[in-house]
Order: sequence, then structure tokens, then C-alpha cells
Amino acid sequence: MASFEGFEYEVIIVGSGAGGGMAAHVLTQAGVKVLLLEAGRDYDPVSETPMFQQGHEAPLRGVSTSDKNFGYYDATVDGGWQVPGEPYTEATDSRFMWWRARMLGGRTNHWGRLVPRFTPADFKPYSTDGVGTDWPVDYDEISPWYDQCEELVGVCGDNPGLDDTPSSSDGVLLPPPKPRVMELLLKSACESLGIPAVPMRRAILTEPKDDREACFWATPCGRGCSIGAAFQTTTSVLRWAMNTGNLKIVTDAMVKEVHLDEAGKAAGVTFVNRTNRADVRVDGDHIILAASACETARLLLNSSSETFPDGLANSSGQVGRNLTDSLGAGVSGYIPALRDRPKYNEDGHTGNHLYIPWWDREGQKDGSLNFSRGYHFEVGARFSSPGMGVAGRVDGFGKDAKDEIRSSYGTSIGLSLRGEMLVSDDCYCEIDEETVDQWGIPVLKFHWKWSEQEINQVAHGLEWGKKIIEAMGGTVNNPDRTAEDAIEAGGQIIHEVGTTRMGDDPATSVCNQWGQTWDVENLYLMDGGVFVSNPHKNCTITILTLAMRNASRLAEQLTA
Amino acid sequence: MSNIYNPKMSRRESLKRIGTMATVVMVGGVPVACDTAEPEVNQAPVTPSAGHWPDIKLDAITGPTYGTDPIVSNPTAPWPLTLSEAQRDQVAVLSDIICPADDRGPAATEVGVPDVIDEWVSAPYSGQQRDRVQIINGLQWLDDEAQLRFGSSFVATSVEQRIEIIEDIAYRSQIEIDEFELPASFFSRIRRLVFGAYFSSPEGIQDIGYIGNVPIAGDYPGPTEEAMEHIRQVADTLGLPPITEYVNR
Repeated sequence: MASFEGFEYEVIIVGSGAGGGMAAHVLTQAGVKVLLLEAGRDYDPVSETPMFQQGHEAPLRGVSTSDKNFGYYDATVDGGWQVPGEPYTEATDSRFMWWRARMLGGRTNHWGRLVPRFTPADFKPYSTDGVGTDWPVDYDEISPWYDQCEELVGVCGDNPGLDDTPSSSDGVLLPPPKPRVMELLLKSACESLGIPAVPMRRAILTEPKDDREACFWATPCGRGCSIGAAFQTTTSVLRWAMNTGNLKIVTDAMVKEVHLDEAGKAAGVTFVNRTNRADVRVDGDHIILAASACETARLLLNSSSETFPDGLANSSGQVGRNLTDSLGAGVSGYIPALRDRPKYNEDGHTGNHLYIPWWDREGQKDGSLNFSRGYHFEVGARFSSPGMGVAGRVDGFGKDAKDEIRSSYGTSIGLSLRGEMLVSDDCYCEIDEETVDQWGIPVLKFHWKWSEQEINQVAHGLEWGKKIIEAMGGTVNNPDRTAEDAIEAGGQIIHEVGTTRMGDDPATSVCNQWGQTWDVENLYLMDGGVFVSNPHKNCTITILTLAMRNASRLAEQLTA
Repeated sequence: MSNIYNPKMSRRESLKRIGTMATVVMVGGVPVACDTAEPEVNQAPVTPSAGHWPDIKLDAITGPTYGTDPIVSNPTAPWPLTLSEAQRDQVAVLSDIICPADDRGPAATEVGVPDVIDEWVSAPYSGQQRDRVQIINGLQWLDDEAQLRFGSSFVATSVEQRIEIIEDIAYRSQIEIDEFELPASFFSRIRRLVFGAYFSSPEGIQDIGYIGNVPIAGDYPGPTEEAMEHIRQVADTLGLPPITEYVNR
């Protein structure tokens, strides 16, 4: 039992986002005392979330700037594509964007809350198509944990029974909201093309749950949710963990190094107190890193010692390797048949109510597709609060132009492709020996290169996006755009995972299926770094689920 | 076309002929030189000129930003406004040409659009500073053009005269016309800003018919019967399978 500021604890958790927040919840519920270190500042979503504030109340109508990359009201504090004073670098000819937040709850305060499950095939990619590496767990092992996690988080959606949409157990899901009319038209258009459009699973309470309120169908989730209807750790697991009395949270604690004792076990960490720049050493019996895939890799690589000259828990050489993001590309269009359509409130839960899951696994099996795996389309098509882009299509001036904007309001559709890239030797992060951040901590350098697989997949998506929009009677903006032009930068989808992957073999993986590092038995990894592959399904629900499962095992061991 | 307007005339020739036209623009009380700082050589156009453009150089605004952790529940813009009174007047006149009052909503100036434009072009962010260069030059171009055609500033010309100028730069196709490339690009940009500012104002939100951002108890109500009937007709017209209401399994 170590202690800090009079608080006695067994476990240190680094990071308060999805993985760290869930681990803190599970452990403290089991009676384990936890010290949680968060690099960012304290954050109170109840008092700080700009619920209902409108664009015209914000500077520049709330548009994105270099200070607030997702717009003025986005929940992210001291972050975005750049964190002040904490750079990262890119290798020559590499482009990678790394979104970070410096706040309690991390990126869970602003995330999209899209929570599709991985499929059985997603956990066994090599066995399925001979490419990549299988996970050391299978769907049957994880499925009950998905149920338990979805139940805790609160997930709306349903079980359409497609091979890309594994079902939750009965009674787990909350009902999805009704689709909006453009989504219904999209569904009809998809039906004509032989592809599905089904309810999107989102971590949104459509009914009240425990001490959280139900969604009241207004104000964008990316701002955070003061009533707790949109899942974020700061309104749920962290709060519950605090209520047990078993958790102490230290914010502004930027962890820079993990220490080993003479027996080769993790002994503690040193963090920089960001408020006074002092180094603080804390000890712990067990240490969980959940700082985000790349921050955790950075922390391990910066924690080298005589025993681990290439970085802590890196005898495999895999720390920082196998970095993937979701593929991203957008197809947008204009649907003239929807001009002057009847107005009604289309806010809903402010995300897409329907989406298009991947529909062509058969095409991969029979070799008719020139890429592995698949993608899904998220849908943006509704009457949203008019902003500075409202006149993007209009020409001329005066009443005619004004009327044109009114008539074409609610006729735009955006399809966002989110696809699976393959693990590649070309994509990884390492320590940049020449650059340190404002705390003196060496920074990450990213290496990135798309392969033909990704380009082919995006080309397929552009073609199908066009088909879908044209089936709706619409025209596609930028129809001649190539996949090379359309593909978004690595990291830009903010689904970066894989840098400390789990496995069955210590020679090729950093940790076992429980997130326990092969090299250091009391050091655990519970963020997206442990992913073996990066299926096109948004990663957070699987981060939460694995953290729940693996923290539960640790809790059993500690309380046995 | 005005008798005095000669689209072949270079910027420098036009300055000589206009004579009284200001060659210095005040920005935020600071005089900003036009292209007069360049050596007065090679004044005769070598090749037929593509119209005139002030090409005013502006120093970057380096004032305070709102930072990466503003109090988002109580928004403020910390940077000073920089448009001169004359420029604000010009923006006001232009805003109401772009977005006049009509039977469905007020004019741009009635909802404070020029204030939004001023805040926008005065902001210390790169995108807004690019807009600032384009807009300050565009406003000056309007004055230059009004001087060339009608012998007075843009604001001082008659409504018909202003419209005559605007008609030459208000359409995207006019960007292809050499002499109007830059002015028409400017107009396209300021139109976007004016309408964006108008329709995102409380009056504009009402005008366009956005009726969200209000809390609703219970289930999301979904489309109205009128909206459902409409989308059924759209699907039918497009020859698509019938719209089916979603049923939770």
C-alpha cells in the first residue's frame, strides 16, 4: 500500500478517458483503492458544458479556429491537433495528425459516441482472410463483456442481425430514435441498391438510467453533456468511482516515466505537476497505463532502463509499432427533390440515427474486391442549426439568393467513410530524439504511409457514395475527386490504436490478452494501444469493454 | 458601362486619372500603405491589363486569441475590431444589397451583420486574416470602380449605380472574366459571410425555419405526418422502394 497526500492506495491509473475511467470504476467498485493521474486540468461538465448556446453567441459564429479545431463549443480543453507546448513531429513524407485533450475525462468529453461492436471475424482477421494477426481473444469471450459494458454505458440501437452487426443480448440496448426523413430516403435508396441502412448504435441514453437523465434531443454531443445522457467518463464512471471513497484523482499530473524496482516490477511513476513544474514521484503496487495509445507508447519508450534499453516492456520491439487509424473520406451531395421540404425538429440525438454498415464480405471472399476488410458510412443529413457555411451553394445576390438558401436548406447529405486499414510496417511512432515538450519530455515522431489497400477501399467508397446519392436523385459534389485526394490524413479520424498490441506470443506482442505486459507483471495497458487490428467500427466501445474485462480480472486478483 | 470606365486600364493609370482617390487605407486607426510604396517605374502596362485591383498589403494581426481553454459557457471575443467607419459603412451597404429585407425576414444590417464581418476580419486567425486581405481589397476595389464609373465612392453612388457594379461581379461565372476575377472572388466570399452571419442570427434562424435546440421530454418525436407524406411522395417520384417507418425489433 502506497500513499499520496494522505491517501492510501494499491493501484495507479494513468489517464482518465475511456480505458482509465472504466478501470477506475471497476477497481473502486470492488473495493480497491486507486490513485488516478490525469495530465489535463480538472473539468466539470455540469457547470462547464455550453448546453443550448447558439453559434451567434460565440466568437466567429463558433467556427473552427486553430485554438478550437472542432469549433468554439467543442468540449476539448487545451487540445485538438496541437496541444500548446507539447508538439509531435512527422517523419519526412509522413503526414499524421494526433488529437489530444488535456482535461479530466480526456476525449470522452467530446467523442462521437458511435459504438458498433466488433464481429467474430474482426477478432480473427488472419484466420478470416489470411492477412494480419489474430487477436488473442475471440468474440465469444468478449461478447458477454460487450453486453455488460453496453448495459453500464447506456447504448441505444438495435440488432438488425447482419454479419457486420453482432447482436447484443436481449434487454441490453435502449431503443433507437426514429430516423429523420432524409435517413428514411437514404434507407429506401440503399434498398434499391441492395445494401442495408440500420440504426446507428450510440452511447446515448434514450431512457433515464441510474442517476443519469435521458437525452432531451437537443444541443450537439461534441460539446459534452451536462445531464450525462451522452456517455463521458466525467459524468459517469469517474463520478461513481469517487463516490466509493476509493479513488483519488490528481489532475495536471503529466506522467513522464514509469519506474522499476530491483526485482523488475513496476514501482511507481514520476509526473510533472503542471501547475508548478515540479517532478513528483508516486509509488504503487500495480500500474495501469491508459494515457491513449500513442501517449502510453511514448511513456513506455521514455521509460528506458538498463533492463529495458529500448523502452519499458518493449523486449518485443513492438511498442509504437502497428499504429493504425480508421480510414476516412467524405462523399457529399445535394438532393434537389428535398427542396422546400416540410420543417420539423431534426436534432434528434444530434448524430446519425441510421448508418450503412459494411455489406460486402462476400465480395472479399470471392475475390471480386481489390481490398481487404471493409468500411461503413456515417450519415449527416438533417436540418441543423444554420452556420457560416449556409450559403456555400448559392450564387448571385439579393432576394433570389436569399430564397435559394431557404429552399435548399436541408437538402445536403454527407456520407463519412470509416474503413479498416491494415497494420503496416510503414505506420508507427517512435521517440524523436531531438525534440522535447515544455515539460522536457521527449516527443513522438510519426511515420505514415497509405498502401494500395487503403486507396482501393476509398475508391470503392467514393463510387458507392456516388451511387447512393444518385439513387436519392442527388448530385455529388466533387464527383471527379480521386481516392488519393479524398483520403484523410492518418490520425485524422482519431481512432489511433495498436501501439502496444496484445497477443499470445511475447516475441510479437507487448501484453497478453489481459493487458498485462509480458515483461513487467504488475504493469497493465488498458487503452486502444492493445488493439491487434483496427476494424472499421469506432474503437471506443471496445476500449471500454476490454478495460472493464481486464480491470475486473485484476480486481478479482487483488481482492481474493 | 460608364463612359470613363476603361477595363484595359492598369491600376496605376487609374490612380492617376482618379487623382483624389485615397491611396492609403486606415485599418484600426493605423494607416496601411497601398501599392504606392513600390518604385514608380514601369508604369505603362506592358500587356493588356486584367482590370484593376488595389493589392493593399496588410500587416498580420497579432492580437489576443481566445486561446485553447476559453470559458465556452460565457463566450467573449478578445480581439479589437479593425474596420474603419467608412469600411463599416461600405460593408453595411453591401450587406443589404446581398441580403435585403423581404417578406420573410429582415435585412442584413437589421441583425448586425456588419458587426459580425468586422469581428471576423479583425480576428487573429489565419483563415480570417486571409479573408481580411480579400475583403479590405474588395471594398477598396468597389470604391475604385465606383470612382472610375461614376466619379464618387461606392457608398455615395446611387442604388442603381451600385447594382450595376455588383451585377458584374456577383456570379461565379464572372470569376472566369479576367478583369473581374479578383472582385468576383471577393464578392463570392463576402456573400458567404453575409448570409452565414444573417442566417445564424436569431432572426435568420427563424427565417430559415430551424426549430431545434429545444429540450423535448420523452421519446424523440421524429418526422411530422406532413414530412412523412412528403418523403413518401419523393421516394415514389424517384421510383424508389416505399418508405417504411422504422420498427424496433
